[in-house]
Amino acid sequence: MKLGHKLSNATFFLLPAIILIAAFYILPLIVTTWISFTPLRDWKISQLTEFVELENYRALYKFVTTHPLGSLVLKTTIVFVVFTLIVNVLGGLLLAIATYVIEERVSLGFRLLWLIPRMTPLAVFGLIWYYFFYGSPQGTLNAFLLKLGLIDQPTFWGTDPNLLPWSAWSIIIFVNGLVGVSYGMIIFYSAFKSLPPELLIAAKVDGASTWQIVRHILIPMARWHLVFVTVWQLLSLVTSYTHLFVLVDWRIVDEWYGTTWALFVFTEAFGTVKNQGLAAAAAVILVIIGSLLGLLTLRIMRFDKITLEPKGDI
Amino acid sequence: MVSVQLVKVTKRFGSVVAVNNVDLEIPDGRFTALLGPSGSGKTTLLYLIAGIYRPTRGKILFDGKDVTNLKPNERNIGLVFQNYALYPHMKVYDNISFPLRLAKKPKSFIDKKVREIAAMLQIDHLLDRYPAQLSGGQQQRVALARALVKEPSVLLLDEPLSNLDAMLRLKIRSELKRLQKDLGITAIYVTHDQSEALAMADKVVVINNGVIQQEGDPHEVYRNPRNVFVASFIGSPPANIFPVKVDLVEEPCVILPGGKYCPKGILAERLKNLGKETVLFGFRPEDATLHEVPRHDGIIMEGEVYTIEPLGREVIVTLKVDGNLVKVIAPPTTTGRISQRVYINVPRDKAMLFDPDTEKNLRLIG
Repeated sequence: MKLGHKLSNATFFLLPAIILIAAFYILPLIVTTWISFTPLRDWKISQLTEFVELENYRALYKFVTTHPLGSLVLKTTIVFVVFTLIVNVLGGLLLAIATYVIEERVSLGFRLLWLIPRMTPLAVFGLIWYYFFYGSPQGTLNAFLLKLGLIDQPTFWGTDPNLLPWSAWSIIIFVNGLVGVSYGMIIFYSAFKSLPPELLIAAKVDGASTWQIVRHILIPMARWHLVFVTVWQLLSLVTSYTHLFVLVDWRIVDEWYGTTWALFVFTEAFGTVKNQGLAAAAAVILVIIGSLLGLLTLRIMRFDKITLEPKGDI
Repeated sequence: MVSVQLVKVTKRFGSVVAVNNVDLEIPDGRFTALLGPSGSGKTTLLYLIAGIYRPTRGKILFDGKDVTNLKPNERNIGLVFQNYALYPHMKVYDNISFPLRLAKKPKSFIDKKVREIAAMLQIDHLLDRYPAQLSGGQQQRVALARALVKEPSVLLLDEPLSNLDAMLRLKIRSELKRLQKDLGITAIYVTHDQSEALAMADKVVVINNGVIQQEGDPHEVYRNPRNVFVASFIGSPPANIFPVKVDLVEEPCVILPGGKYCPKGILAERLKNLGKETVLFGFRPEDATLHEVPRHDGIIMEGEVYTIEPLGREVIVTLKVDGNLVKVIAPPTTTGRISQRVYINVPRDKAMLFDPDTEKNLRLIG
């Protein structure tokens, strides 16, 4: 086959994906970058051709460096991403190991249970936590703790200034972790399940305990999956805001201690402020940071090495 | 080294009986082959000996000591799998040393042992490689080294040669046999390949449907198959077996196409006592000879040439005898044409008769 022929074949098969990526990713990216150089506010389309150079970026820099809320958004983002990532990856790994080790019938029910938060519609999920953390004595958590006698006054857990910032941060990490942890669980579990059973039998015969099998066989063999889940979850956590939006909008957590960079972009563009120019600049920064983080993680976890073709005569 | 004894061992998986009430003696220091088709329960039997499965009923003894409830690592066994089951993320050295590392042996001891066993199996130059960088034969040796490094009292091998190509299989087959003899280790070898079992084993155990069909030395099992299954499973090509009519009017005989066979002595008596209208008649392909004119010694039957397959050292002639396809191994010079009429001659002492219902060899009953 000639090279030209090959290329046209490749183009044919890749075209649908290319069109989708172009329409829903490349194009919005260009438009967003464009907007970030305009003074667009309140969707006044006429402003789209007025250019303010780096004004939005300057304002953003000033907000982050001088405004107390700016640095808070940054801090919240870092805390949220780091801790939720740990919960999602390590929690997913633990759940996968647990469901792998226990009997299949029990395991299936257990895995389904952990999928419920992911399958629950956002509004319902939000409502559950609204009631759970609600500040009246009827709020689930308050009622529970009051009954146990651990507290004597009901508390607004996510907004009480005495408990901030970690109370709000804990809630956003907990709620997002509960949704995210099943992803890692599914991926790791299927990775374990695809291992040849002889490998585990061999390890047992060699004298490995369950913990040694996990440490020496399961985890090293699921290394690729670990890299994938870590990078994937990292990027989704950096950019996701829907659950946070509900938590903040319904005052389950404090507005500022629950706002990450991604949510800041959203509220800046579509909330009360409607400063789309500034929001676009923040979004562009987010894309750049996200890409760098993704590449960095792949580098740290030596993605190039584990995808290397094996050498030698087979 | 130990002898292994199974006492009335049964293993069920749900409603499936994989191993059914098996009594088996595996001699110390000898090479025993568990031979059977896929699904016969031979691997289950091996895994029961290894301790990977617990028997539903029955006992397993090592040198008379009950090990039924011991875990695999408490039985001091080495196990080699068909797919080798090498740990892909560990180098050869780490694969071999894994059991010793788990046993928390001193580093210098581990190093000495690994290098010793690697030298013995001629893989000492491969210790720094990953399994994916090795050929099938090399991987096989690494798996063997990992099983032997802990000096097991029993070596269990689950179809270890099946993933190798035909030439390599022959080579490793003889090496493995020699290795077992040199080490004097008790070896149990699971295979579906009857030629492997015959070639390597001191004792062959034929299994089907979770039941032992026959056990004995290879020659015995080959020459005197206890039943139709053993006769038609062992041999390449296996024994020819087809139904024939019985004639008891004058003396007990079976009617063959173009001739008849009247056994003498005990066999005649058994045929008569059986009192059935048909029995199964059988003979091994290499025991028969082909002739253009009928000979008058031995058992004679008439057939028609169906195909001729020259194999260099010999020729396999397939013939149609009364609607049954029958194979005969003939000298390499044999020629013939399709549909030619020929006479098959089988020496009287090589003929086998089986009860059509129990499928048992009439010669061995009692």
